[in-house]
Amino acid sequence: MLGLEHYLILSAILFSIGLYGVLSKRNAIIILMCIELMLNAVNITLVAFSRYVVPALLTGQVFAIFVIVVAATEAAVGLAIILAIYRGLEDIDVTKINLLKW
Amino acid sequence: MNLALFIPELALVATAVIVILLDLLTEQKRLLAQVSISGLVVAGGVTVAMWGHNFPTIFNNMLAVDNFALFFKMLFLGVAFLVILSSVDYVIKFARFQGEYYALVLLATLGMMLMAATTNLIAIYIAIELTSISLYALVGFLKDAKSTEASLKYLLLGAVASAVLLYGMALIFGFTGKTNLHDIAQSIQALSPPTLFASPALILGIVLLVAGFGFKIAAVPFQMWVPDVYEGAPTPITAYLSVASKAAGFAIILRVFFSAFGQPDWLSQNWGLIFAGLAVISMTLGNIMAIPQSNIKRLLGYSSIAQAGYLMVGLAALGVSPVGDILGQSGVLFFLASYVFTNMGAFIAVIAISGKLNSDLIDDYAGMGKRAPLLALALTLCLISLIGMPPAAGFMAKFYIFSAAVQHDLLWLVVIAVLNSVISAYYYLRVVKVMWLGQAASQEKVPSSAALRLALVLSCLGVLLLGIIPGYMMRLAELAARIFIP
Amino acid sequence: MGLVISFWILAAICILAALGVIFLRNVFRAALSLILCFLMVAGLYITLSADFLAAVQILVYVGAISVLIILAIMMTREVQRGSPSNRLQIPAFIVAILLLEVLVLTLLKTPWQIATTPPLAPTTTALATRLFGEGGFILPVEIAAVLILSAILGAIVLAREK
Repeated sequence: MLGLEHYLILSAILFSIGLYGVLSKRNAIIILMCIELMLNAVNITLVAFSRYVVPALLTGQVFAIFVIVVAATEAAVGLAIILAIYRGLEDIDVTKINLLKW
Repeated sequence: MNLALFIPELALVATAVIVILLDLLTEQKRLLAQVSISGLVVAGGVTVAMWGHNFPTIFNNMLAVDNFALFFKMLFLGVAFLVILSSVDYVIKFARFQGEYYALVLLATLGMMLMAATTNLIAIYIAIELTSISLYALVGFLKDAKSTEASLKYLLLGAVASAVLLYGMALIFGFTGKTNLHDIAQSIQALSPPTLFASPALILGIVLLVAGFGFKIAAVPFQMWVPDVYEGAPTPITAYLSVASKAAGFAIILRVFFSAFGQPDWLSQNWGLIFAGLAVISMTLGNIMAIPQSNIKRLLGYSSIAQAGYLMVGLAALGVSPVGDILGQSGVLFFLASYVFTNMGAFIAVIAISGKLNSDLIDDYAGMGKRAPLLALALTLCLISLIGMPPAAGFMAKFYIFSAAVQHDLLWLVVIAVLNSVISAYYYLRVVKVMWLGQAASQEKVPSSAALRLALVLSCLGVLLLGIIPGYMMRLAELAARIFIP
Repeated sequence: MGLVISFWILAAICILAALGVIFLRNVFRAALSLILCFLMVAGLYITLSADFLAAVQILVYVGAISVLIILAIMMTREVQRGSPSNRLQIPAFIVAILLLEVLVLTLLKTPWQIATTPPLAPTTTALATRLFGEGGFILPVEIAAVLILSAILGAIVLAREK
């Protein structure tokens, strides 16, 4: 029998994989891809809640649509920055981004 | 629904679009700043006119037009006004993109105004993103190595933080089945205490929300973006980030945690203690890391982390206080207002001085007391206010917050905060000492433009007025905080 | 029964593809792996009877975001550089595992209030009503429009030459 928990755990696994990638990778494009992974994980949670908790209201699906909008805008702006870096500023290495430096 | 209550927001969008279009038509780029400012003035005027009426929420219960929202809207419009005034000369560096600059500042302001007013998780999320996306772009406006890297870093970390925030929202939505803050509160209160205790999802959701919002307000341990982004961003945007973005984060924390998780008492005490813990590490780390800084923007960056710590003392106090006591809330609002004037003032002085020196190094500020006495005086006043000494606003702000904390048995937290204020005096006063007692590298005067002077005078006036006659602002803050009394 | 089998297949491929994103050395292949993962998520939406969302997922993620990422990889000659890890691999692994543990424990222990009503299908009309109809989410829709405007402005400014 397929239940809410199955989807929630799947999404937790995807979210953790994404977080691991964000924390451990140095390539900005890969980090951006991992962020998309995390957002997809949250979307699975939202849609699963929508299906099992409020099946008639679809609130979770509405939420997921907005998350997709935001994911697209973040990807667009992020990739614009990466392109700009490759275009003119050779002295930044996008493959050597260290996000956790204090 | 009364669309008239939405006029301030509509005015900002319209102004942003007009600015973009006008940018194509005119060579007179100063006109763009004038149009932006008039848009802000219109929005501000309408907002002031709406004060005190306690309108119902609009957009199907998603947008509050209460005094709390209006208080923050006025704050953000005021900050945007000062930011645009102080950008008028700075934008020459952006040659081709001045229209976009003003438009994005206006859109970010709109996002913050919505953050303070939205009462639904979905709308809150998207309002936060509107603010963030505009700010990511603004940080990268200088298009040099530092600025672009700062923008990339801010975007990547910001996106991760918003993913974490989103997971928290998803858990809370899944637990209650609701997205409206008011409905969430009702379904939490409808549950019996044993069920609540057996539901870790709610607590985990709250923790994830704290992490997500903690990034916005730059609380330790979510502060790693601050120094690099503050240093790399155009200085007016650094000011904007340190002031408005932080205030918007606090606005949303206050609203979400009060409307949704204010009851039952043990729940609010739990998040109160989370904020107490964050306050301790933010104050301490922010202040200690600020001491060795040689760059004034980085120094103010770390100082803003510490200020977020003091503000969280207020959050902790109002978490542990019983329902109906608004001293904590109004204290936090007053602190935010005073912090806005103070930090804006400090940054405007930095824009004026560093713009002439072409350097952000504190050592280069030597002799400013002679070269630009008024600028140095203004910066000194703002730094004194940041320490929290009378007669500046910062003193009254800390007084209100700390006394609220003492009243609710958080004496230990206040002791740590006061000790921290003493540490902070060291590095703030070092800047003051360099400016007044240091040997100037040259005798050349440092002139500043009329727009900058106006912005600086306005902020310093705010700092002094709030410090000497705090009663009026406190009255406004109390009216704004009153919406949280059930 | 068919639903259960398809869930397990989709979930398995989805996790493998996600692991591929972080462990493949070639950035281009990692991107392809990400696309596979997006497709599987679309399949999962169908098992949750979210048909419209599955279509949106394919259009926006598989169609647009993936193309954007691959375009960026090709334009920046990112492929040869590979996908190096930083020195924080082990702490990152620990953090991720701890988070996973906390999440799984929380998700399993919480008594979710599961409704017994069958899900709506098809969802397209219902979603439209929720978004644009009376009592719906029109405010976020409006904000999203402004959000996209600001993203366009930002992307143009950042990507164009000085």
